[in-house]
Amino acid sequence: MDFDGLSVDQAPPITAPLRFFATAPIFAILAGFFIFFSDAAALSSRFAPQAIAVTHAITIGFFCFVMFGALVQMLPVLAGVKISNVDKVSKLSYILLLAGTLGMVFGLWFELQKLLLIASLLLGGGFLLLITAMLFAFRTVVHINASIRAMITSLIFALLITLLGVHLLASYGIGKIGASHLLFANIHSVWAIFGFAGILIVGVAFHILPMFYVAPKFEPFFQRFAVLIAVAGLVLWLILNLFADSYAIAAKSIIASLFMVFAIMAWLKVSARRRKVSDITIWYWKSAAVFMTVGTVAWVVNDFFDEKYTVFVSILVGGGFIFSVMSGMLYKIVPFLVWFHLNAKGYMSIPTMNDMINKKATKWQFALFIFSLIGFALSFFVSQFLGFFALTFIVSMVLLEFNIISAVLIYYKTIKTKPDFDMSMFTMKAE
Amino acid sequence: MSDIKEFLTNDHRACDEEFALLEEAVAAKNSDAPKLYEKFSSDLTNHFSMEEIVLFPMLGQASSVAGGAIKAMEMEHEQMRTLLSKMRKAVESMDKESFFSLSETLMILMQQHNMKEEQLLYTLAEQHLGEDADHIVRQMRSVAY
Repeated sequence: MDFDGLSVDQAPPITAPLRFFATAPIFAILAGFFIFFSDAAALSSRFAPQAIAVTHAITIGFFCFVMFGALVQMLPVLAGVKISNVDKVSKLSYILLLAGTLGMVFGLWFELQKLLLIASLLLGGGFLLLITAMLFAFRTVVHINASIRAMITSLIFALLITLLGVHLLASYGIGKIGASHLLFANIHSVWAIFGFAGILIVGVAFHILPMFYVAPKFEPFFQRFAVLIAVAGLVLWLILNLFADSYAIAAKSIIASLFMVFAIMAWLKVSARRRKVSDITIWYWKSAAVFMTVGTVAWVVNDFFDEKYTVFVSILVGGGFIFSVMSGMLYKIVPFLVWFHLNAKGYMSIPTMNDMINKKATKWQFALFIFSLIGFALSFFVSQFLGFFALTFIVSMVLLEFNIISAVLIYYKTIKTKPDFDMSMFTMKAE
Repeated sequence: MSDIKEFLTNDHRACDEEFALLEEAVAAKNSDAPKLYEKFSSDLTNHFSMEEIVLFPMLGQASSVAGGAIKAMEMEHEQMRTLLSKMRKAVESMDKESFFSLSETLMILMQQHNMKEEQLLYTLAEQHLGEDADHIVRQMRSVAY
């Protein structure tokens, strides 16, 4: 067995995940401004360029940036593997993804075809570089469990949706929208939400919830078959979509049921946790569970209404479920990384995790986010107040960025001012 | 036949349970808190000793790739010992705010540490020292109790 790439001794440099984490809320703020300046009618159609710009400022700019930042950090922890040249790979993919996402959303907003073509190449390069580097790292994994199986599966979905996404965006770039465009867009979005983000969250939750909250473990049966059922459902859905569209609801029901069961189980596990202390991350897990439960029902029911409510469903599943989990994750990982890296450098008089982010500010951020989310969902039916909810969303994302940056600044300030004896020479290398 | 991975993983979970009980007691300002702290602290440091005195030296010899990881784990043990001693003061003075500040940091540090051990080091121990597992587990028990 090749053990070359296995590692728990080399945490990636703190900048590798932090640059993704610190950028993510900025894209969410940008999405908020897009919503504010959008025509509500245009946003209610998922294929309008404005709607695609808003969606991807969130899905790539926020979701992918948080997920990739977390994966870069968590691979050595959860899987005991390391990404080769992690610093260079994460830096280069960050630059490509940053430029690509900006190019894509502004290209769509201002209808600049050349920019869209360039963006498709940048995004394709950024995603493929990071995804293949991570998949390659898994070759040295010594023990495969349910979480690792889920991570690998979700990365394979990420690879496929990247290829589809590049094709779709390049089609806009060259102004050639083929007959299969809508079908591909549908596959791209469903596989992205459930195949990439959904399976990743399920897999990570198997590990994170029992360990960080001392919650009951997910049932072995569910751990064993959840990813398999999700993959089977997503592949069946693809086949039915291609050859027997009217039966696709059967596959949709399988996928929706699985994720609904997961959401309900996650709620029950979090509620039955042995650590009774409640913090903002618990609130985020619970809100994610509620929105996912409602969202999966809405997704299936949407089929009976000619998919008229797809944007509404996206707000519930994307905004309510994925966004909530990502935000909660940021609040847990960023302060820990700052504490861990400073402590490993020998700085002992540093704030603990809880002291790095103002608790009141996190509560306000959460409340404003949920308020905006419900507002967005209602705005699908009554659009007069969409601008107002866009503003509350922007404020909640500014607060999120402020909270994350507060912790990041502690790191750089400590490095700069060296408040106590620096023992970094005698301690482990963690940048 | 004993299983090194199972034995140490179960010990992790037992410490988690004690940690949860301790947090609950401090949250309720329960008079049992110092006793629960002592139990948790001694069980956690016993766990470190089992690894540092018995498992790590054997694994370091048996596996050429485990050395760096072992060093990192020992370094994290030290980080946890420091947090534990700060927590003692917070429990003694029933300073809830300080306690929870420290306990949250310890919890995340402990869990990411456990994940790394369970995923990698214990798996390597199974692969390289599995045949000697009965003897190794017995030795670890004798260190701890």
